[in-house]
Amino acid sequence: MNVLTPRELPELFAALAAPGARVLAGGTDLLVRLRADLRQGRKVPSSLVRLDGLEELCGVAREPDGALRLGAATTHAGLLAHPLVRVELPVLAAALADLGSPPIRNMGTLGGNLCTASPAGDTLPPLMVLGASVELASAAGVRRMALADFITGPGRTRLAPGEIVTAVLAPSAREFAVRHFEKVGRRSALAVAVVSLAALLRLDARGKAVEARLAWGSVGPTVWRCPEAEAALLGQRPTLTALKRAAAVVRARVQPIDDLRASAAYRSEVAGNLLLRLAAL
Amino acid sequence: MKLSFILNGATVRLDAEPDRRAVDLLREELGALDVKEGCGTGECGACSVLVDGVQKLSCLMLAAQLEGRTVVTAAGLGTAEKPHPVQRAFAEHGAVQCGFCTPGMAVAAAGLLAENPAPAREDIRRAVSGNLCRCTGYVKIIDAVEAAARELAARKGKTEDAR
Amino acid sequence: MPKRHAPSLPPSPPRADALAKALGAERYAFDARPEGCLWAGAFRPGALFGPEGGMAHGRVRGVDTTAALAVPGVLRVLTAADVPGANLQGIVHKDQPVLCGEVLRHAGDPVALVLAESPEALRAGLAALRADIEPLPGVFDPEEALKKGAPQVHAGRKGGNLLLGAVIEKGDARAALKSVPVLVRGEFSTPVQEHAFLETPCGVAQLLPDGALQMTVSTQSPFRDRFEIGHALGLNPFKIRVRAPHLGGGFGGKDGATVQCLLGLAALKAGGRPVRMVWDREESILAGYKRHAVRLRYALGAERDGTLVALSCRVVFDTGAYAHLGSEVMELSMEHAAGPYRIPHVRVVGRCVYTNNPIAGAFRGFGVAQVSPAFESLMDELAEKLGLDPLALRRKNALRHGDENCSGVRLTGSAQLTDCLDAVAAHPLWTTREAWRAGAPAFTRRGVGLAAVFNGMGYGRGLADMAIAKLELTEAGGFLVYNGVPDMGQGNSSAFALLASQELNQPPSAIGLVQPDTEQCLPSGSSSAGRTTYTYGNALLKACAAMRVKLLSRAAMALFCDNLEGMELLPGMVRHRPTGKSLPLAAMAGFLSRDDRVCVAEALMPVAQNPPDTGKSFFIGFPHLLFAYAAHLARIEVDELTGRVRVCDYLAVTDGGRVLHRQGFDQQAQGGVAQGLGYALLEDFRLAEGRILTGDLSTYLIPTALDLPDIASEAVEGCEETGPHGLKGVGEVGLNGPAPAVGAALYEATGARLRDLPFTPERVLTALRKKPRRRRT
Ligand SMILES: Cc1cc2nc3c(=O)[nH]c(=O)nc-3n(C[C@H](O)[C@H](O)[C@H](O)COP(=O)(O)OP(=O)(O)OC[C@H]3O[C@@H](n4cnc5c(N)ncnc54)[C@H](O)[C@@H]3O)c2cc1C
Ligand code: FES
Ligand code: FES
Repeated sequence: MNVLTPRELPELFAALAAPGARVLAGGTDLLVRLRADLRQGRKVPSSLVRLDGLEELCGVAREPDGALRLGAATTHAGLLAHPLVRVELPVLAAALADLGSPPIRNMGTLGGNLCTASPAGDTLPPLMVLGASVELASAAGVRRMALADFITGPGRTRLAPGEIVTAVLAPSAREFAVRHFEKVGRRSALAVAVVSLAALLRLDARGKAVEARLAWGSVGPTVWRCPEAEAALLGQRPTLTALKRAAAVVRARVQPIDDLRASAAYRSEVAGNLLLRLAAL
Repeated sequence: MKLSFILNGATVRLDAEPDRRAVDLLREELGALDVKEGCGTGECGACSVLVDGVQKLSCLMLAAQLEGRTVVTAAGLGTAEKPHPVQRAFAEHGAVQCGFCTPGMAVAAAGLLAENPAPAREDIRRAVSGNLCRCTGYVKIIDAVEAAARELAARKGKTEDAR
Repeated sequence: MPKRHAPSLPPSPPRADALAKALGAERYAFDARPEGCLWAGAFRPGALFGPEGGMAHGRVRGVDTTAALAVPGVLRVLTAADVPGANLQGIVHKDQPVLCGEVLRHAGDPVALVLAESPEALRAGLAALRADIEPLPGVFDPEEALKKGAPQVHAGRKGGNLLLGAVIEKGDARAALKSVPVLVRGEFSTPVQEHAFLETPCGVAQLLPDGALQMTVSTQSPFRDRFEIGHALGLNPFKIRVRAPHLGGGFGGKDGATVQCLLGLAALKAGGRPVRMVWDREESILAGYKRHAVRLRYALGAERDGTLVALSCRVVFDTGAYAHLGSEVMELSMEHAAGPYRIPHVRVVGRCVYTNNPIAGAFRGFGVAQVSPAFESLMDELAEKLGLDPLALRRKNALRHGDENCSGVRLTGSAQLTDCLDAVAAHPLWTTREAWRAGAPAFTRRGVGLAAVFNGMGYGRGLADMAIAKLELTEAGGFLVYNGVPDMGQGNSSAFALLASQELNQPPSAIGLVQPDTEQCLPSGSSSAGRTTYTYGNALLKACAAMRVKLLSRAAMALFCDNLEGMELLPGMVRHRPTGKSLPLAAMAGFLSRDDRVCVAEALMPVAQNPPDTGKSFFIGFPHLLFAYAAHLARIEVDELTGRVRVCDYLAVTDGGRVLHRQGFDQQAQGGVAQGLGYALLEDFRLAEGRILTGDLSTYLIPTALDLPDIASEAVEGCEETGPHGLKGVGEVGLNGPAPAVGAALYEATGARLRDLPFTPERVLTALRKKPRRRRT
């Protein structure tokens, strides 16, 4: 495999046009997969095109509409270290803080996490409740789409051939009084999510929810939303009673699967239970 | 490709396959046998090196990604005559058993102390949580990093007094 | 109150190997890469069909090597037909082919060996190999395997799938259990555990022009390896040289041949070139030995005052496809099945069974870790039934020096379990437990549990547990200790250097170490069974004493002193105190012949005299005489929403005889507890029809630094008269406590007794659902 390090976007697009070329960001997903492919004698890409030579893909900036622009090739550690991310996107920061391990956070990137589109991808539930969108670019131009539209299934995205994610645009969550992320893994570091929950509640002056946004990871082929549970919280204070009612809705609707890490029954129960934590915040 | 980077303070120039894993390049071509491999999939941290001061996993890096970088391995942190405070503390505080995780662990700890000279115990736990150790239960590793932080602070105090 | 080490004790001197390892300067077998070496790798087709496919039992119809041989850089592809000798390896029972030519008995069985010029060529060659294997019905459950008509793992074997059935009996447990006033019973299971040492099995080998085979391997048993390799490959074991540098962890998983026979075979066919073999993590999990999964059925009876009366226990061991150490591990299980308690009537029945699962073998806590969760759980249940304090119940029944243990052996060695229990009883983590429990935060339940455990030392009867120490005065006037027992990380070689430096009154820098090398060192058994420091240490003490006398008498000659009175061995010299005359050791080394500069001495671990008349089916190993003891305490928090368990505090109080090196002692305790906590809570080795579902470190999870508490280690001061300076082996006992201690704490937190390890969040949550209300204590 050749490894290319373009310095400008046009150069990058040209490199990606070659047959069998593949984007290499932090490599924490891709190189693990390539190793397995090589062990099994499967085909590997002809060339890997690095993203870390392009400065415009890294860093955090404010968009004119107030949203934060997160460069797709920014590492998880880079995002975590950024004060704007910590203050305005605490749900995302909480997910990043528990993603993988320190070296994985030093290497892995946000764009890589989105494009891997794992059902257990830790940044996905927070970005979903934030209402984030992605900016895509190719030789043909730039386009934007909602993250919810971008990810179509496990490992599947709307990325066109020759296209990359350049940035994630995430509106601030400042007006949400309740901002919560919890990942349940089998251990406290280096753990793939068994269930995760990202939650944002906007409360009125009396503490009642006027908007609820909930998103779960690892309970379906991709991030799972539950509008019925969100609706059940509206007009309520996030008390244990109210949350229990919403949790019952969740358990009734969620349809997870069994895998090595947990059974479907466990996932269903915990998907509901995690809502109760909001009562203790 | 022609590759050039700084390894443990010395500039190395060599011809390498760009897709060679960094861990193989370091160990097999450059004799950096202090860099270990325990999994090849990012799960154990034994292959940790500092790249421009940041802990990375050389099993998930390719040769081309070292170009122009500054790479420090455990052997580059200190020597027998002048060990890095982390290395000395590891030895003194019993943080080393089989020692196979130790080079990577020392790299992680040194990386932490460069960034956070006075970490709390919990910070240390987090900082080494990407480095598996099957022998120690981590207690003495964390003790050692605390001790190294104290020594570094004392040293700094001294140099500041001297000024 | 037990005497405990004052915390003000001066810190132990650092281990001799620690700084070199921290600097990255230590060289392991993993780092051996001789000039011009070839690479060897095994083809294991049972695992090749992806997680969905795969095969654990099949008839090998053929191996198609054409495509592999066409890969540039692939030199040879060897199959069973190329193996000279018996093509069977194994420590006691030789039933495991080096390369399978007829039958594949588990998913990791190898059928071919590829020799290549580079790791890349090797990988491509392995990927290009094809095997034609006819699937056979497999058997994956040891109890199923014993049924009539079950598929036979070793077709035609006398005894079928039953490797060994055994009984250890004392008194009349069956009758006694019928009449005891209080009875508790239960069924338990413990899972496979993977060693997950950081250094995977590896080594290099070369056939020398004179026909000798030399090898540097990550092994716990270099001397025995020669016989295993020799038998498998038809070689004279005395023409095989095995060197064992520091291991990157072993824990039992490198006791017996891993790469050795394959590597030897490769070297035989490499035209004299050195060959290197390194199992990657996946191969290590696939083909390496594991802790036996065990099923246990127990009944325990007592008087109303808590005096234990009778115990019955049945264990079924899954040894996997090959015997390896199955019988020997089961022996330890059975011998420890009744716990560290006095029980007059005991009957333990064991069956060790072949299946098409991965091969099980030695793992720290060798059989004992499998029974301790069961007997301790029953002790807690009994305490509850009787309304007794669990600690007091244990103390009342704890084995003491002079007691007869459950297999009928009189304990002539040190036994201070009661001191361990007293230390726990007095510890703040125990005395403040009520208040601590009451302070549980929202959605959290807290529990405190304890466990009393023990672990036999040494090989047991029937196999001489011997070590031979060799000590040399070097030409420079220093000393070399020729270590015969591999240092897998436990620090035994450093302990030997320290012993030598103390005994010979020399600075640590004057003591050098030669790591195990069958050519230079002397047979001293394996690095295992908590015997390493005990047995070799005793031998080394004798060698040091002989060396001292030798040096004094040779110096007396040279200094014209007519007796040894007043002669003293000082750092770097021998001095005659009355006259002040002295002789530097370097000068003495100059006039002594090599033979005269060497002292050799051996030591043998004592065994039980008059062994009880039971356990007859154990060819070796039964019974043990010396034991280490420990009492453990765990404080845990259970999250009611997820079932996740956090271990908040942990205390291990260990009776290891005299403590010679406090840091090394604590290292062993903490390391054992860490692996035990992994076993208790996290490590969930999963199989489906013999295929490993947790085949790498992203699916087989061991604890990270964030998963373990600050494990506190305390020692009770004791003395084992037969040990070197009073020491006992403490390498294993620490692993046996966490599962029962956490199990007890979980009961306190959830009201449910979990009897199947590991205690996963899922099992805990299920238990919580069944016992929704907080238990009041
Ligand atoms: C030990 C370990 C632990 C892990 N733990 C977690 C965890 O806890 N939670 C979690 O969510 N993930 C985890 N991961 C997975 C992984 O680290 C993350 O998904 C990471 O964010 C991937 O980013 P990357 O930059 O390394 O991606 P890469 O591996 O470089 O790329 C992944 C894929 O995305 C494509 N790609 C990357 N960037 C772009 C882009 N900008 N545009 C188009 N395509 C792109 C690549 O071509 C490739 O197909 C773990 C991985 C490892 C090895
Ligand atoms: S070898 Fe790189 S993380 Fe394990
Ligand atoms: S010291 Fe052995 S793995 Fe850490």
